[in-house]
Amino acid sequence: MKRRRKARVNSEAPPDDQSAAEFSFTLTKVAVSQICLSVGYTSTDTSSTLNTLTLITTKFLQSIAELAASFSNSANRTEANLFDIVNGLQDAALATSDCFPGGSTLHSTESHCLIRSAVLRNLSDFVASAFEIPFAKPLPRLEISGSYGGDSTRAARSRDEMKSIPAWLPPFPEDSSLYRERYAEERSGHLWEKSDSVIGHGTFVEETSGFESCRGRSGGRLPMRRASVRFKVERDWSNGGGGKSDTRLERWRDKFEVKKRIGEEEEYIDCADIDAGEWNM
Amino acid sequence: MNHGQHSGEAKHEDDAALTEFLASLMDYTPTIPDDLVEHYLAKSGFQCPDVRLIRLVAVATQKFVADVASDALQHCKARPAPVVKDKKQQKDKRLVLTMEDLSKALREYGVNVKHPEYFADSPSTGMDPATRDE
Repeated sequence: MKRRRKARVNSEAPPDDQSAAEFSFTLTKVAVSQICLSVGYTSTDTSSTLNTLTLITTKFLQSIAELAASFSNSANRTEANLFDIVNGLQDAALATSDCFPGGSTLHSTESHCLIRSAVLRNLSDFVASAFEIPFAKPLPRLEISGSYGGDSTRAARSRDEMKSIPAWLPPFPEDSSLYRERYAEERSGHLWEKSDSVIGHGTFVEETSGFESCRGRSGGRLPMRRASVRFKVERDWSNGGGGKSDTRLERWRDKFEVKKRIGEEEEYIDCADIDAGEWNM
Repeated sequence: MNHGQHSGEAKHEDDAALTEFLASLMDYTPTIPDDLVEHYLAKSGFQCPDVRLIRLVAVATQKFVADVASDALQHCKARPAPVVKDKKQQKDKRLVLTMEDLSKALREYGVNVKHPEYFADSPSTGMDPATRDE
């Protein structure tokens, strides 16, 4: 019985990705239910109805994003702009409905301005006419958010987790913090018409300067004064006196001790203090 | 010449309307929060630091959901109401979003929703007890 209960608990414990997906899905469900409430509905017959509408909403959102991203990528850009989004919206509108007003003059040479796009005009009318329905609760913003092109689960890694990398190497630039700082600055006053693609200035300077400052702290060189490392020698005579000698090197954190054992008595000899990479016998 | 002037004016007006619309997005609060939209956009490989464009996607999604829900509501209202003798129940008529209305509304948007009509926990459920024993 206990085993069965334990197995059930293990199966219910979701990994981080799953819980994040569930969380975002639940938030979307709240927003969708608010929209349904504003239309005039008071309830749903089953929970699967609302789940279906929420799932389709997320798919719609992601399809717009994928279309806009593909448009921007085909124009050799990584950041999408208004043109990409409008093109994506038009494609999504063509996919989800049979037609929309102005669809026939979509790619005509005369319609240079984006506002002539019927989809955008409809959205403009919607914003002007529809009441604002703010989300039910303000969302808490996490300290480390990897939503801007990164993965939050892989963003933060301490040096303890990466044991394969020697301690004397300079620290890695913190990608997440770099992105976050850059993102916060850009978000506060960044307009797409003033972005790199339009003006041609590189905002990567900030990123590289951050990396340089990270490197500049240690400069990629070993520090002059470092913690001392000690060794102890141990010889194992336990196999009948004059048998085989066993010298073992044991590493205890930064301290190496080589122990020398003769017969049954243990004798520790501090044989070396290493400072700045030299043996001091 | 006149034609060129007209087209130039029209373009100027369109530009002004576009600028105004983008400016109005800064003040508009969509129902779907910016962070949530951003999460889904980042998941799909979309990068954009401009909050107005994120809100534009949020507004487009909100409009899509509102259109689907209002279409489903029209289907719900168009269905002949069941005969109810009690007057109280007639007054308390609540609008319930059903899968039937939703699937009809979604079909207009190119989404075909298939759902099982009836769930039964075992094949013998609902059968006559006499036949079940056999």
